[in-house]
Amino acid sequence: MSNLVKVENLNVCYESRGGRVTALDKVSLDIKTNELLAVVGESGCGKSTLALAIIGLLPNPPARVMSGEIVFKGTDLIRLGQANMREYRGTQIAMIFQEPLSSLNPVYKVGDQIAEAIMVKRSREDGNPPVESEFMQKTHKIVPPSKVSKSFRYGKRISGELKDEIIASLKLVRIPDPDQVIERYPFELSGGMRQRVMIAMALSQEPALLVADEPTTALDVTTQAQVLKLMKELMTKVKTSVLLITHDLAVACQVADRVAVMYAGDVVEAANVFDLFSKPLHPYTQGLLSCLPTGSKSKVDLKPIPGSVPDLRSPLVGCKYASRCQFVMKQCLDRKPDFIETMENHEVACYLHGEKNGTHSANN
Amino acid sequence: MEPILQTTDLTKYFSVQRGLNPFSKAKKFVRAVDGVSMTIWKGTTIAVVGESGCGKTTLARTIALLTKPTSGDIVFDGRSIVNGKTNSKQVYRDLQMIFQDPESSLDPNIKVGDSIGEPLEGLMGWNKNEVRNAVEKSLAAVGLPQDSVDRLPGQLSGGQKQRVAIARAISPQPKLVILDEPTSALDASVQAQILRLLLQLQKDYALSYMLITHNIAVAEYLSDYMAVMYSGNLVEYGLTEEIMAKPRHPYTIALISSAPIANPWKRNLLQVEIRGEVPSAINPPSGCKFNPRCPYADGACSREIPKLQEVSPGHLVACHFVEKTA
Repeated sequence: MSNLVKVENLNVCYESRGGRVTALDKVSLDIKTNELLAVVGESGCGKSTLALAIIGLLPNPPARVMSGEIVFKGTDLIRLGQANMREYRGTQIAMIFQEPLSSLNPVYKVGDQIAEAIMVKRSREDGNPPVESEFMQKTHKIVPPSKVSKSFRYGKRISGELKDEIIASLKLVRIPDPDQVIERYPFELSGGMRQRVMIAMALSQEPALLVADEPTTALDVTTQAQVLKLMKELMTKVKTSVLLITHDLAVACQVADRVAVMYAGDVVEAANVFDLFSKPLHPYTQGLLSCLPTGSKSKVDLKPIPGSVPDLRSPLVGCKYASRCQFVMKQCLDRKPDFIETMENHEVACYLHGEKNGTHSANN
Repeated sequence: MEPILQTTDLTKYFSVQRGLNPFSKAKKFVRAVDGVSMTIWKGTTIAVVGESGCGKTTLARTIALLTKPTSGDIVFDGRSIVNGKTNSKQVYRDLQMIFQDPESSLDPNIKVGDSIGEPLEGLMGWNKNEVRNAVEKSLAAVGLPQDSVDRLPGQLSGGQKQRVAIARAISPQPKLVILDEPTSALDASVQAQILRLLLQLQKDYALSYMLITHNIAVAEYLSDYMAVMYSGNLVEYGLTEEIMAKPRHPYTIALISSAPIANPWKRNLLQVEIRGEVPSAINPPSGCKFNPRCPYADGACSREIPKLQEVSPGHLVACHFVEKTA
């Protein structure tokens, strides 16, 4: 499989009063075409920062990309600039967020919001000047009003072909009575329906990459199961790759093709989902897996990881997991291990695995 | 085995006003808890599971006397705590609660030592010295260093804050502790620490637990008994082992199969066959509240509310078509 996105040595920092926090520390990761890559890790490990960096939505300030590149279909997104990045966002790379109520506009009808997404896509395909909705005009004032020929106006009655397309996209995500739902406001829908509207909006663009940041964390388990099942089905239908950010290892395990584990700003292990869960290599991954309750207390003995996550404000030398690792060696404290492929399609950053890391330590 | 707590037909309705007319006569109610009868046995853990809005937290708050029940009875430690004169001080002492978010259950301006110690003066009538000893003892029990007495909650991590909340709950030597989503605000590795701690404390202090959770994996790990709630009703009750191995209510089946398992060879999530979402608690469907989503639903289901019936000793299910899931 070919690579759709290649993240190379990405370094992202947040400037804060207490000092500079390194959120992503030389992260390298590939997303292959038509795969579901799950990035898992505990809060503060940098998984959301990675998602925002890929879609170019890092809040700047305080966030700053210090170095590295994100190559998407041969273009480096970091050097693209905000104006050009807008052409990619939505159409090429779409995103769904954790809380759908805060990512949908509360004062416009659901149908209008999907219509805008479809109009934007069409104008980009035709190569016409960008369609700017009334709302965007007011807030951004990017295109002079005279140029907005095909402007989409909220509140106007949607009809004809556009309406059919909106209904088709809602049907795709299995929303019951789509012709009534388009006349509703986001607050009138349930959590699961809202998240489905977000997915419908994102997938109406037929993006090459869908970034989903904790898409089911705010949902109930039965709804979560429906939404994840739907996402997985649509992935093959629309032919898109998905980057799923989640804190829930079990969710990742259920839907992902490949899983990357992050710890304190590093990707420590990435592998096929079956390999990762059957033979985890990195001590942190092993620790995380033995923290999962997978049966009753009489049968399962949970082994919590001792200690806590290091403070990312202070510059850290060596492996960041060293202070909690039971296999810690001298070289772990001196130099950060490289993230290398030790087995076929199984990458890990640990001195315990891989000859390359071993020879490094011998040279030093 | 002795029961520590028993509820009989417990209901809790919240009245809501529809529309803007303040003189509107149309009274509507959210039936948060709608006739729940269950038993918590001494020294065991019961997990109350269900989705958001099913009434599990309201049930816990009603039992802890944080809200008054609309009707029904609660017998705690052999005495009714609803009807007649209730010695609420004693109930508050013997029945403690741990909340989901330690961020909001601890006062940010009060030192950890005072957070744990202050309630003890009133509840137990202890003097300063006794209180200090009790605080030290409970901090040691939850594995916090003694110097944390002088810390503020803001100086602690999420897991440490939850430990403080646990220390506060166990310090008056309660008989029953209600755990309301004790680990859902925590990361996986911290969750494991807290779960282990809770098991240890149960052993050391002979506690009974009532665990409120939506996380099936946590419920399975921690509990001996399980009560499944749907839209204010208890739909299934029994030994956790039995329910996990052979759930009988169609909702329990859906709930358990929707819970993701950390095993990539068992992809249950992608085979789930449940439609729709939890119904509105103001206008619930008639009859069995699960009937619009149920694969076995029949005419009888929308007419009659099914009663809990015993399918095997100690295993109760409220469904008209129990035999179909056997």
